[in-house]
Amino acid sequence: MSEATSAETAGAETASSEIVVQTRALSKVYRDFWGRQKVRALKSLDLEVRKGEVFGLLGPNGSGKTTTIKLLLGLLFPTEGEALLFGKDSSDVSKNERLGYLPEESYLYRFLNAEETLDFYGRLFDMPADVREQRIDELIKMVGLDRARKRQLQEYSKGMTRRIGLAQALINNPELILLDEPTSGLDPIGTREMKDMILRLKAEGKTVVMCSHLLADVQDVCDRIAILHQGELKELGRVDTLLTVADVTQLRAKGLTGECQQELRDVIARHHGELLEMNNPTTTLEDLFLKIVRDSEARPGRRASIEGADDNKTGGVATAD
Amino acid sequence: MVLEREIYPYLQWLLWGTGGSNFGALPRFFAVCAGFAVLAILLGYVVSLLRAERRGGFFTGLLQAGDRVFKTLKSGIAELAATSPRRVWALAKLAMKEAWRRRILIALVVYVVLLLFAAWFLSVEHPDPARLYLSFVLSATTGLVLLIALLISAFSLPGDFKSKTIYTVVTKPVRAGEIILGRILGFTVVGTFLLVAMGLCNYVFVTRSLGHVHQVEADSIERQTSTEGEDEGRTGRTTNTAGHRHRIEVDSDNQGIALTENGHYHPLDIDSEGRITVRPAVGFLRARQPDYGKLRFVDRTGVEKARGISVGSEWTYRSFIDGNTLATAIWTFSNISAATFEESRNDQGEASGEVLPIALKVRVFKTHKGTIGQPISGTIQFRNPETTAVSDPEPFYAKDSQIDEMFPSRAQVTPEGEPIDLLDDLTTEDGRLEILVKCAERGQYFGFAQADLYISKPDGSTLMNFIKVHLSIWIQMVIVITVGVVISTLVSGPVAMMFTASFIILGIFREKFLEIATDQAYGGGPAEALVRMGTQANVVSQLDQTWGVMIVQFIDTFISRPLMWGVGQILPDFQYLDSSNYAAEGYNLPWDRIFQDLTICGGYVVAFSVLGYFLLRTREVAR
Repeated sequence: MSEATSAETAGAETASSEIVVQTRALSKVYRDFWGRQKVRALKSLDLEVRKGEVFGLLGPNGSGKTTTIKLLLGLLFPTEGEALLFGKDSSDVSKNERLGYLPEESYLYRFLNAEETLDFYGRLFDMPADVREQRIDELIKMVGLDRARKRQLQEYSKGMTRRIGLAQALINNPELILLDEPTSGLDPIGTREMKDMILRLKAEGKTVVMCSHLLADVQDVCDRIAILHQGELKELGRVDTLLTVADVTQLRAKGLTGECQQELRDVIARHHGELLEMNNPTTTLEDLFLKIVRDSEARPGRRASIEGADDNKTGGVATAD
Repeated sequence: MVLEREIYPYLQWLLWGTGGSNFGALPRFFAVCAGFAVLAILLGYVVSLLRAERRGGFFTGLLQAGDRVFKTLKSGIAELAATSPRRVWALAKLAMKEAWRRRILIALVVYVVLLLFAAWFLSVEHPDPARLYLSFVLSATTGLVLLIALLISAFSLPGDFKSKTIYTVVTKPVRAGEIILGRILGFTVVGTFLLVAMGLCNYVFVTRSLGHVHQVEADSIERQTSTEGEDEGRTGRTTNTAGHRHRIEVDSDNQGIALTENGHYHPLDIDSEGRITVRPAVGFLRARQPDYGKLRFVDRTGVEKARGISVGSEWTYRSFIDGNTLATAIWTFSNISAATFEESRNDQGEASGEVLPIALKVRVFKTHKGTIGQPISGTIQFRNPETTAVSDPEPFYAKDSQIDEMFPSRAQVTPEGEPIDLLDDLTTEDGRLEILVKCAERGQYFGFAQADLYISKPDGSTLMNFIKVHLSIWIQMVIVITVGVVISTLVSGPVAMMFTASFIILGIFREKFLEIATDQAYGGGPAEALVRMGTQANVVSQLDQTWGVMIVQFIDTFISRPLMWGVGQILPDFQYLDSSNYAAEGYNLPWDRIFQDLTICGGYVVAFSVLGYFLLRTREVAR
């Protein structure tokens, strides 16, 4: 074997070992009791998710996102094709050792408290008692449920249930985390925290596969996305590449005078560009909301002052084609 | 009588079987498992074939289905080895918490209330109150425990499927087998807790209800003197409490007893001034330990037979001998030694020689009334099976169905009046002894089964017997839990409950079920029974051999009966497993029997867990 060939082989091996999730012609047909076809939920899906990526499955309701996640987990059996996690078939239970899963709704035992819940799931990973204790403590603090650790889950709010759900998904310090609609039902703060958590997991080198129909969430955290519609893959690629509008230039500046803005207009006109927009930007409602809540937490009992509006007085955004 | 089925030594039962067409329990278990495994694999193959989306033609489909079945089996065996006790225990603890959350303790409250109401209806005046009370509490405990086992086991897994909590469990490295075993273990612990609590209630209830004290009726005490004028002590009677009174006998040394009545007696305390105090009842609860022999018969003409004659009773357990003929029931006992005999004491408490404690129960069948109220006489005789030396027949009087405890002396006499020793002369070197029983009255019959005559060993511990009987309820509970959990992997809660309930009911009537399956019952199989119901034809009337009837009988012979036979092989015989009668009738439940039942229970847990594993493994959890 020549040196070049062996280097190629080694490269290919590294590449394939980095593939954490792979589906080959994965299809799912739901049938009724008599075996008659009800719906073809997924049609021949081919995907590869690499180590360290945050991968988003995007699509409207009923597009096959959750079906894909369930097929990956082995909760459903593929009608055709196969799903591999860490190179193992999705029906192989041993793959679950390296996996964390947060279902769409946190399907947890509501008669357990937070500690008992995590202890139960820790035992399912055959974790020894001391490791389990330490991990439970870490996770409860991480998801901010320290003060509610002894309360039964049935007393938890939606956000708290979501957080304990995430904690159980991370109990085994998994390499791959599957999140089904991770931000659904969460308030803006919860959503932001969840997104921060996903980015933190990515920073730790973990692979995240999430599905959502909340486009903003996906855009904020995902490296790559797949768009599904009616069970078919419609688009697949890097978020930044997919969203870049190649022939539009955006410029953001602060402290420009009226003359300077006029000068910019002239420069654009001189270069035969078309000025699409030049104005003072507004902040997003999400940012405004978060600012108010944080202000309220810092100074309880006082009406929040919205300083953000003033910040933008002298700033401006120009968009040109 | 509780002892219709002979209890064989454990190892014989397990490995070699009990003679005839019955082979050992273990080979039988493997045969049934192998049969069902083959059927299950075939079924799995067909389902896999139907479910799969086929591309590449029919033969590719056949191969694909085979491959899937093979992979499932292979991974199943691999996963069995990876079973983790920690995971099983975690799942068991979860099951316990779930049961606790479902207010399982209410069952205990219901039971205590039931006992309180029962006290109104159960009468201590019954001639055998211990039997009445024990039958009631043990039946109630069995019923309630099995009902709870049924409910908690059938609804648990379907509940997890419905609430989708199963998603977060099966996405952990949990094997399907661990989910099944965890559930079985958890519910068994909960059930055991309930059963122990009920058992304690039962013991307190029975002993407290049956316990009573009499006073001495002062007017009834009479001094007894012999014809020579010697003091022979006093006799009298107690007051009437709990619907009965006892005869009191006190000897000249102030030793006495209130004689047995309603299955118990009372010791007496007699002080130096002769004042008699009756102490609490003794002997209500008994744990007789019989030592059985082998029974054979001699008919009226003196010819040996395996069975006696039939008197037309449908229940063929017992057969009969005719009175005042050569007809004899002969029991051969083995292992008779000096230790078999008991030291007998006379009224003064001095040793008065050795006796052989035996108990005899006779079913009396009368062809004429005889003297009303008078028992029928018979004789009992001992014989050496080798030398055929016999003792002089000793008369006894038999009342129907009563257990008569006898203590024939070791020192017997021959019919010629020569002294003969029961052990040295009438028992062989290897310890065999024959006991011959005859009916002495012409036209009357005695009915016997093997268990009707036995040598009594000293009574076992009644408390231990009580615990053993509860252990047999526990065994039934574990089987129900196992079946409930396994069935619930496949169907919804209510369906699983109905299925398991049917399993229990069919299990109770397993013998009849198998009779129908093997064409030993009147009325044909299920299809024919349907026709008979429709045409209002009773079970014994001949049906016209029309085409329709022939088709129906064909269906029974080739479809329904083989199916029933197959199901019959896995049905637990709950009637047999229920050994509460041992305690109720005052017999010690042998450990051999307990070990056999525990083994049967283990067999169900193992076989059904494997079945449950494959059912859960091949089920799409998220559907």
